[in-house]
Amino acid sequence: MSFLAFLFILISLVTFVAAQLILKKAMQFSATKGMRNSYFVSRVAIGVVLMTVSFFLTLGLLQRFDLSYLYPFQGLSVIFITILAAVVLKEKLSARLAIGALLITAGILLVSMS
Amino acid sequence: MQNRPSGFGNPWLQLGLSVVCVFASELLLKRGASEVAAPDDAFSWTGINGLASPLVWWAIVLIIASFISWLYVLRYIPLNIAYPLSRVVDILVPLGCWIFLGELISTLRWCGIALVVSGLALVAKPIAKMEERL
Repeated sequence: MSFLAFLFILISLVTFVAAQLILKKAMQFSATKGMRNSYFVSRVAIGVVLMTVSFFLTLGLLQRFDLSYLYPFQGLSVIFITILAAVVLKEKLSARLAIGALLITAGILLVSMS
Repeated sequence: MQNRPSGFGNPWLQLGLSVVCVFASELLLKRGASEVAAPDDAFSWTGINGLASPLVWWAIVLIIASFISWLYVLRYIPLNIAYPLSRVVDILVPLGCWIFLGELISTLRWCGIALVVSGLALVAKPIAKMEERL
């Protein structure tokens, strides 16, 4: 796999995870403050833009690689969420999470060699 | 899990529908992308040329449908139950690649997929809890 392909896989995953979290924050905010405010609208707009970027990058990648090759990389999103939780929530890594993350990483390495 | 509606509004049915929509959309996206693939054209990295395929549009419809039913599911089923169950799609997609797309999956790749799926199964609950707090 070329460096470019790996970079696009990473960007499509990061944008997807970021979009999900931003949209979730926006929905939580709207539950108390409603939807007619610039905070909510701007967050939803950012979320939708990020989702769109992720979608089209995936579409570009699918033109070049098998789905069975690309799909396992989605497991990396777990690693991003873990890192984010460690940074934002100062959450400690549980043994279960660490083993799971290791399994996913090892699996992705095998798939990327196939 | 407050008073759960029955029939088509049953959240467990909607969870199943959401998973099926995600599964089908992945396969349709792959088919659609392959139909219009132009790997020698640098512009095609943007994926925008994929819109020329009707299958891609069907996939978009299914993605939106899965999103709506997922939001509905979350009103009734807690994320740390719904999310791990939704990961069934990680088993369905490689099987779908093999059965419906005819992809030749090597033993090495099957082993990698199995490791990823088992890792995801292990972390699904803690990740759902983290996502809830993030």
